[in-house]
Amino acid sequence: MPPRGRWRGSGPAVVPPGVRPVSAAASIAGAAVIWVALLGPVITLLTHLSGHAIASALTYPGALDPLVTSLEAGAVTLAVLFGVCTPLAWMLARGRLPFPRVWEAGVLCSLLLPPLVVGLLLAFMVGPYTAIGGLLGHLHLSATNTFLALVIAEVYESAPYYVVGAQAAFSAVDPRLEQQAELLGDRPRRVFRRVTLPLASPGLATALAIAWARAMGAFGAVIIIAYHPYGLPLQIYTTLDQTGLPTALPYALVLLVVALPLPLAAYVWSARAQGRRRG
Amino acid sequence: MLAIVGGMLALRNRRRTQVGALLVIASVGLATACSSAPSTGSGSKPTGNVNVAYASSLQYLNEKVISPAFTKAEGYKFVGTGGPSGALESEIAAGTIHPDVFESVGGDNITPLFPQFTKWYVQFAGTQMVLAYNPNSPYASQFKAFADGSEPLQGLFTLLETPGLKLGRTDPASDPQGRNFIYMLELAQSHYNLPSDTVSKILGGTPGSSSSPQIYAESALDSTLQSGQLDAASAYINQAVELHLDYIKLPSAINLGDASMAEQYKTATVTIIPQGGTATTKKGSPQVIDITIIGKPTKAALAFVKYTLSKAGLALYKAGGFSLPPLTATGTTTAIPAAISSELGT
Repeated sequence: MPPRGRWRGSGPAVVPPGVRPVSAAASIAGAAVIWVALLGPVITLLTHLSGHAIASALTYPGALDPLVTSLEAGAVTLAVLFGVCTPLAWMLARGRLPFPRVWEAGVLCSLLLPPLVVGLLLAFMVGPYTAIGGLLGHLHLSATNTFLALVIAEVYESAPYYVVGAQAAFSAVDPRLEQQAELLGDRPRRVFRRVTLPLASPGLATALAIAWARAMGAFGAVIIIAYHPYGLPLQIYTTLDQTGLPTALPYALVLLVVALPLPLAAYVWSARAQGRRRG
Repeated sequence: MLAIVGGMLALRNRRRTQVGALLVIASVGLATACSSAPSTGSGSKPTGNVNVAYASSLQYLNEKVISPAFTKAEGYKFVGTGGPSGALESEIAAGTIHPDVFESVGGDNITPLFPQFTKWYVQFAGTQMVLAYNPNSPYASQFKAFADGSEPLQGLFTLLETPGLKLGRTDPASDPQGRNFIYMLELAQSHYNLPSDTVSKILGGTPGSSSSPQIYAESALDSTLQSGQLDAASAYINQAVELHLDYIKLPSAINLGDASMAEQYKTATVTIIPQGGTATTKKGSPQVIDITIIGKPTKAALAFVKYTLSKAGLALYKAGGFSLPPLTATGTTTAIPAAISSELGT
């Protein structure tokens, strides 16, 4: 058998029959072991749920209110991230900012801070006796234990993930294409809308999907400044405290079922879009 | 194992070798992460861990004070899990946690574990409710006057009704402190002959409701007060002492700290509706700390309970703001291990 194009090993060019299929199968099996291990908590969740427990947990009055709260807060969070953080990510990717490493270090700082600490610091930042809190008070708003507080906590927990992902998406767009559009007379805003954004959109979709997952699962900052209104993660936590594990676990399944479709769709669309571009 | 075989078979292929190596590393990493390393130690003192599940209000004392003192005295390492007493009891009963020792606020969180997990408990310390306040609050001078006794205390409850005053408390459905704060207000309403709507005005709604902007997670309440974003908050006296909070001490008729007033405390009730559960009415009771051993006593567990009930251990509790009622055993006292009975003087 002649060596194939991708075979660049330094050893003998001829592979004994059967070794490569065995090797491939073993690698797949190894990957499967790791995949199953990573999915361990999800598998455990499914094995510890019964139809009765799910039905009784989901049918008591107000059981699904936290789900609605989570979806609404998650949607507002994504809108804020897309509107506010996308331009920042583009400027970071295109080196339009002085001292770019300083800007990037700032984003990484907020990524590295544990969410619980972010929540504690947000209490100092937007609590009722702070300048921002006072300003919100004049507008009859509050950033403590309100829907606004929940959105703020989710934005702070998910924004760094979105900015890093979106920056990578914009960096993958060939700047020569943007330059050519400019040479053809397009203004920068039109170039961004007609060239940059469509080309970066698969990567942006993935970044938004990750941000969505972070927002839906946000807990550390949320529990500090937004104990009310309950979203799904706090519903799981408080139900665990109040009525124990069997009642709390069904909400984890709800969280998965509700939070999964959007990132999954984004991944599928992103993969197809990139496939079309390559193909 | 399969990943190792895969990696070996792919030795001739550089790319596949890299993939195989990564798989091997990841597999080994996962395997290592999933296994628990045995504890090791040196010296003549015994080694090993004692796993203690304790009420959240004991967190500071256990983790920062008792843990190092116990390890220094006995050699064993303290491994703690803090949480609301009721939730810990549920988790022990469900088998999701397996502590050696359980420390609860109130014996009613231990008796449901009789007789499968334990048959006894010992009451050894007590705490009481206080009102912690923010020294930079617009109401600080008034709080201070109540704290130093220059103003009669009943005025405090009228002040707490002030619209715009930012009061923090914990969830009555999940946290005993949240309920205790409500019992304290009810006892105060009765003790000071305050108008019958005083409690609901202070709480801004139905007493047992979990939905109130006043309600914070237990872990967040003190930090929010310390960050200056609340005017006042419920607290146990030991938390106020440990965290150096300014606080107003309350009389024993309403502070739930006097074991001899159990009958009076019982008159305070609150009906809570847990998520996914049925409405339950709970009654006030003295805030006593109880300790027991879960399952078959280990040497480390015996050493920890013995140390906690010793003069040295109780002195640490006293320094932390706790009161020290006489040690009292409840349940099948003959089941108490001899090493612990000796501390009880029985």
